Amino acid sequence: MKQFVVIGLGRFGSSVARALGEKNFEVLAIDRDEGRVKEIEGIVSQAVVMDATDEKALRELGIADFETAIVSMAETIEDSIMITLALKELGLKQVIVKANNELHSKILRKVGADRIVFPEREMAEKLAESLASPKIFDIIEVSKTHGIIEMVAPKKLANKTLGDLKLRIKYNVSVIAIKRKVPYSKPNGTTDFKEEVIIGPGGSDELIPGDVLILLGNYDNLEKVKKL
Amino acid sequence: MNDNFDDLIELSDFYILSQKFEEAIKVLKKAEKINKVVPKLYYNLGIAYEALSEKVQARDSFRLALKIDPNFKSAQEHLDKLIEE
Repeated sequence: MKQFVVIGLGRFGSSVARALGEKNFEVLAIDRDEGRVKEIEGIVSQAVVMDATDEKALRELGIADFETAIVSMAETIEDSIMITLALKELGLKQVIVKANNELHSKILRKVGADRIVFPEREMAEKLAESLASPKIFDIIEVSKTHGIIEMVAPKKLANKTLGDLKLRIKYNVSVIAIKRKVPYSKPNGTTDFKEEVIIGPGGSDELIPGDVLILLGNYDNLEKVKKL
Repeated sequence: MNDNFDDLIELSDFYILSQKFEEAIKVLKKAEKINKVVPKLYYNLGIAYEALSEKVQARDSFRLALKIDPNFKSAQEHLDKLIEE
């Protein structure tokens, strides 16, 4: 089972620790603040009040046995740099660090951080994207040129089969899945719907209004499909 | 032709269950001109808009349903889900 150590239990760190704990991974959560540590006890495998800048204490805690560390102490830049350096020296394979700004990120790279995250910036970009294109729900970057997007099927495509639409031939875009709301009648007389996912739909599958398509393709081609 | 409110609501149920969400919205708009105080009208509108991923209209419709009937559990559940997305 994967083991994680989360250092810094502010909003981001505690959310990561909580999410990993709820997925039943082994999680060691560390913070200087006793209150923060108490809040996460019982959700993670172990929660410890400790100054993580103390390399000796980290070593004694057996941190070197963990595969991945998440350092979430962006408010105290110096501490996050020191901890990252210590974790890499202890031999952790993957150290993920929350950064505050570009300079912070640059220094973290130099001291060996394997991945740097800007949660607020990433969230802000996603929110901006969703506001700019309300019919695009998600974008996953596969490479610099290709991605997977989740979008509401353009009206023009409704009531046609994938075979008729020939998205692959015309745009070199693959429909990986279709998310569909399937209505049903509840015992109290109201209608509701449940979501059904059609994985790897075939040419005979017909799109209905409101279907959400998961598409894989080159960004330029995906853009063309978005504009249909 | 004189449209009967209850018939229109029933027709909207039929359209929703047949996945004809746009048609459901059309008949519900007609029904709204007859009676604006029935929560199910706005609930069905919310369902049809949500099915079409028209989230803003869906949220507004569920809010209207809840304004008329604050205890409309299904409307509240859909609204909560849409707000958190």
